[in-house]
Amino acid sequence: MHQNDTTRHASAAALALALGAALNFAAAPAIAADAAKEKCYGVAMKGKNDCKAGAGTSCAGSSTKDYQGNAWTYVPAGTCEKTASPTSPTGMGQLKEFKEKKA
Amino acid sequence: MSGVADNAAFAAALLDPGRPAPPGLVSWNGSDPAQRFAVYRNNVTTSLIDALSETFPVVRQLVGATFFRAMAREFVRRSPPRSPVLAWYGDLFADFVAAFPPAAGLPYLADMARLEYARVLAFHAADVAPAAVADVAACLAEPVILPSLRLHLQPSLRLIDSPFAIVSLWGAHQGVGDLATIDPLQPECALVLRHGLSLAVMTVPPAAGRFIAALQSGAALGDAVREASTEDAPFDPTPALGLLIAHDLLVGVGQSPGQQGEQP
Amino acid sequence: MGDVGKPRPAFATARCGEASLPAAAGLGLKPEHFGDVLETKPALGFFEIHAENYMVPGGPFHHYLGRIRSDHALSIHGVGLSIGGEAPLDEVHLDRLAALIDRYQPESFSEHLAWSSHAGTFYNDLLPAPFNAATLRRVCEHIDRVQSRLRRRMLLENPATYVEFAASDRDEATFIGEVVACTGCGLLLDLNNAYVSCTNHGRDVHAYLRALPLAAVGEIHLAGFAREVDSLAAPLLIDSHGAPVAEAVWALYEEALRLIGPVATLLERDNDLPAFPVLLAEALQAGRRLDARRALHPLRAQAA
Repeated sequence: MHQNDTTRHASAAALALALGAALNFAAAPAIAADAAKEKCYGVAMKGKNDCKAGAGTSCAGSSTKDYQGNAWTYVPAGTCEKTASPTSPTGMGQLKEFKEKKA
Repeated sequence: MSGVADNAAFAAALLDPGRPAPPGLVSWNGSDPAQRFAVYRNNVTTSLIDALSETFPVVRQLVGATFFRAMAREFVRRSPPRSPVLAWYGDLFADFVAAFPPAAGLPYLADMARLEYARVLAFHAADVAPAAVADVAACLAEPVILPSLRLHLQPSLRLIDSPFAIVSLWGAHQGVGDLATIDPLQPECALVLRHGLSLAVMTVPPAAGRFIAALQSGAALGDAVREASTEDAPFDPTPALGLLIAHDLLVGVGQSPGQQGEQP
Repeated sequence: MGDVGKPRPAFATARCGEASLPAAAGLGLKPEHFGDVLETKPALGFFEIHAENYMVPGGPFHHYLGRIRSDHALSIHGVGLSIGGEAPLDEVHLDRLAALIDRYQPESFSEHLAWSSHAGTFYNDLLPAPFNAATLRRVCEHIDRVQSRLRRRMLLENPATYVEFAASDRDEATFIGEVVACTGCGLLLDLNNAYVSCTNHGRDVHAYLRALPLAAVGEIHLAGFAREVDSLAAPLLIDSHGAPVAEAVWALYEEALRLIGPVATLLERDNDLPAFPVLLAEALQAGRRLDARRALHPLRAQAA
């Protein structure tokens, strides 16, 4: 990190130009779009704590399916099927049924 | 195991469906206490899966609700919350997804989880007033101090440098762009921030990502430019600085200690 | 610690002039409804939040809550303190709670007669404990700690439960009466929980209501439940907060108002959230019953 004065002054001048331009630049709203591909969206996050109870018939709590115990029978089946995925045999983001061997 | 439904016995049976209901439970009419206990078991598991589902909506859409809920159930059993503040639940989910064999065919899934968790962090991050433009402009009066200047950034700012096109994939789930035309293997550096009350997700060039990450970790301006130049030389910081200023991400400017001025 | 007979600090009894919720209808505040509330400034007595949702540094939740709080009375309702748990209270969580209360200065703070954390894990459910001397001692110690840390009186909510314990040696209403007597805390009377628990355990809800320390009631909760059955096909009601208030619970509300007089009443809805005007209309049904009762209780109404 040891610099001679020339380098330091050169980089100081370059930084002054950059910061000065950025300040002008930021005053014009269109410019940020040049710096980045921006996507702004409204926010609809919810609170995640509450004091309700779920309905009792759901089997989520008592299901014994376990991907380590060879009982895993789910495959991804959402929008991933519409994306290209070179690692899957079909070329799409889908998997065959997964069976893990005991290590 | 003791014959009493103490907290430990009750808790152990909540997340392990292989265990019987805890001992010591009774019902007024002689009905099966285990079936009644299942209400708690289901509520714990379902409510935590629901919380993850709220935090990771695009991961859920990518794999579908059935796969997501099953994957989340495995995560809940392995890594139940350590804090009652459920906004932060799921901080370990991306690492779990990365090591989850059934999801191995979707290598971008873990980074998508990182992106979605970064949005939660940005959403709830502390409110800090942006630096006054005049304060930033004042630094121009003495260019010699600029290389050692430190720029303090909003705590909402998060960077995820991914080998996958996580921003494009995420955007396609918000109705921007066509999923079918995205190559998931294109690297993207994601910037997540809150501007006022709104979240923004954007890509920045890799060198700009290095520059911003260096500033975030406390590097002086000159060092941050040098760091970015290792990615893409010569690095021009103008667009990145413009981006930071335009989004009110600069919250303060300060001199680095010991690099300029009189030494004590 | 834990000596049930020891003198209680002064804050543990309701003080004259202490801030309290108005004897009017209120609604649980949901982020989905921030905009509706700010735009319409509904004629409600108060809003209630779940404390843990606001234990975040900043952002839109605090922005909107701050604005709404400046127009309305506020109740902060905790769901994660685990007052009924065997372990000592989580002091870090209590600090977060104290900071939130300090920031928003709510008219009321309440928590549950339940536990939700054990050995460092948070289960996100209101879990039951046996009603006996050991639980009583712990609950009283925990409430003493909460009230001294927050320097205010808290309300304790009666639980909705699905199982009972062989280790219980007294009934729930007696237990709650002992807690109130020993800590000076108030009672958040959740009538849906009362109805759900009494149905689930074959108790007479009217007798249960009369056995509670009704003079300590500082707030009433109303909500909807879901219907299931146990293994013998007897009703097993679930405190789902996902449906309108049942007729039987409205009737219980009328009965409670006859016994207590008008008191702040919250309509809770956490599941299958309808549009704001629908919830508001349901809360105003409680408001009309309060108005009718106020006309019959002029003295209590003046005091409120």
